[in-house]
Amino acid sequence: MRDFAETVLLEPLKALGQNILALLPNVLAMGMILSVGLVAAWAFGHLIERVLRVVGLDHLCDRLGVNAALLRGGVKADPSHLIGRTSYWTLLLFAATAALGALNLQPVNAFARSFLAYLPHLFTASLILLAGYLLSNFVSQATLIGAVNAGLPPARLLAACSRWGVQTVAVVMALEQLGVAETVVVVGFGIVLGGVVLAAALAFGLGAKDLVKDFLEQRLSGRPRDRMNDDLKHL
Amino acid sequence: MTGEALGLTSVTEARVREIGAADIVVGIPSYNNADTIGRVVSAVGAGLAKYFSGWRSVVVNSDGGSSDGTPAVVARTGVDFSVMFIGDRQSPLNKIITPYHGVPGKGSAFRTIFEIARRLNAKACAVVDSDLRSITPEWVELLILPVLNKGYDYVAPYYLRHKYDGTITNGIVYPLTRALYGQRIRQPIGGDFGFSGRLTEHYLDKRVWESDVARFGIDVWMTTEAIASGAKVCQSFLGAKIHNPKDPAADLSSMLVQVMGAVLALMEEHQALWPGVAGSRPAELFGFQYDVGVEPVHVNVERMIGTFRQGAADLEPIWREALATDTLDELLPLKDCPQQEFRMADDLWARLIYDVAAAAHHRVLPYAHLLKALTPLYLGRTASFVLETQGLTSAEAEVRIEALCQAFEQRKPYLVERWKGRERMQAAGHDSQMAAKGGHEEPRSPSVAGPALH
Repeated sequence: MRDFAETVLLEPLKALGQNILALLPNVLAMGMILSVGLVAAWAFGHLIERVLRVVGLDHLCDRLGVNAALLRGGVKADPSHLIGRTSYWTLLLFAATAALGALNLQPVNAFARSFLAYLPHLFTASLILLAGYLLSNFVSQATLIGAVNAGLPPARLLAACSRWGVQTVAVVMALEQLGVAETVVVVGFGIVLGGVVLAAALAFGLGAKDLVKDFLEQRLSGRPRDRMNDDLKHL
Repeated sequence: MTGEALGLTSVTEARVREIGAADIVVGIPSYNNADTIGRVVSAVGAGLAKYFSGWRSVVVNSDGGSSDGTPAVVARTGVDFSVMFIGDRQSPLNKIITPYHGVPGKGSAFRTIFEIARRLNAKACAVVDSDLRSITPEWVELLILPVLNKGYDYVAPYYLRHKYDGTITNGIVYPLTRALYGQRIRQPIGGDFGFSGRLTEHYLDKRVWESDVARFGIDVWMTTEAIASGAKVCQSFLGAKIHNPKDPAADLSSMLVQVMGAVLALMEEHQALWPGVAGSRPAELFGFQYDVGVEPVHVNVERMIGTFRQGAADLEPIWREALATDTLDELLPLKDCPQQEFRMADDLWARLIYDVAAAAHHRVLPYAHLLKALTPLYLGRTASFVLETQGLTSAEAEVRIEALCQAFEQRKPYLVERWKGRERMQAAGHDSQMAAKGGHEEPRSPSVAGPALH
């Protein structure tokens, strides 16, 4: 009975205890890595933010219109702070992954490896989304101004369409980069875009044939449009 | 900083060496102007023979690669002196026909003319457009003589124009350059100028020949550089300017971007100079001022006001980023104004243009977007001017333009304040964004709004 108790109860407990004791240094190492990583990430983030402020990144972004674009997107923080916080979280993410690796557990190691391999895709997708957002703002503003100056009544609709068009392309590209339902997204996007272009072509051809005729006449013959009926010389 | 010397083609180099030196150089830039350039060359030749017979003179045609035989027309064009009662021609008229190099545009064509003038050590130069239909030999006298006899460095043209001809010049460029640099040059982007050899050197030494100045904006650049360099400037009355219509498909907003872009680039370059200039002084005007019937100009006010109203409805968020809150508050009610009562006051227009200049300086918006968004505002102002001056003669309309210029001059401290005040401008922009979102708006600093006009 005693042998049985030792075999069935104590041995596993002993083994568990040994395992825990064997793992304890790893857990401690994980804690240490995480703590050091946390402090290092905080210090690095602050350092980056300070340095960027000193070199005048905010001023440069201001002149390039980045701040205005961020403000329009509802982001009130300045670029130095944003980059500082991004650096903090990036370093913290690496520290957390390294800390998990310190446990030396097979599934955790596999997860950490695949996560690290996925990071570049995540980074690229974020860049695509950011660039797409900024480009969509620029394109929609240009479309709006151009449409108003051309006297097209649905100027805002055209601007909104161009904005959503660019943003949709950016989202599709980002999803493709992330490998999310790659085929479905690309095929679906192709079908939708083809449909929109066909519909727009039909609408344009049937609904705006007079406008197109007028435009082509003006372009090819060099005649000013009759409806303008003025010969103002601006210069 | 000095510009690098421009290389000429070997044929042109040889021709310049053959001629050796000249007192007067008259340049004619061209591109596909075969139907008009012959008359221009004749007029220039006759003018040189009639008024400068004892001087060594050269006509330079700087061509941008015409495909219609423009250089050939220049080569074969002569002057029948007998019908013009010119009998004592002492020196032959030399011609140099050369292609120009560099960025395609009028500026590059001018650069080649300037370079030839420098190599020939010319005392006086003039440039005239190749599409002119109203040029007479007297233009050469009026553009050159103030330089040779009166010691002027720069002679700007003074044309007799219809009151609605040149609305960008009348509504923006003339009032703005006059207020900025303090010289009343009525046609700063006229196209036909006279200048001294010394000023030619100054122009060539500027590093602008790879910029937009080389493509467009050379006219306002020459005028502004002349004033800013302290050159002695005057004007000559040339009568009516009739020339071939420009590209009829040319887009107004692109035209505004080009002209305003050139003026704003010059404001950046001379920002150490113009904030200290107050008021303006007249530039002497030479030539006999006669009256002449000018071509009527038909204006579609309804369309212009329609574009303004659509701009006010659709572009308000963009205008809000560039314009001061006070300016916008005065502007927006105009969209509901009946056509006959539609008026954009001089003071409002002056502040609006200054707001746009400051917004461009502080890069509040992408440059082209900012200037293109000005189109409906410009059309609104032009419609207002047309309605206000209906039934007035061109001379009476000129009085209205003078009043506008005075508004620009009086409001100049507002421009200086806005130009310098980046932080305050940001604050104003933030306030306006808050207002757009329906948020609480803090009262604006009086210094941002500029001094009250008394």
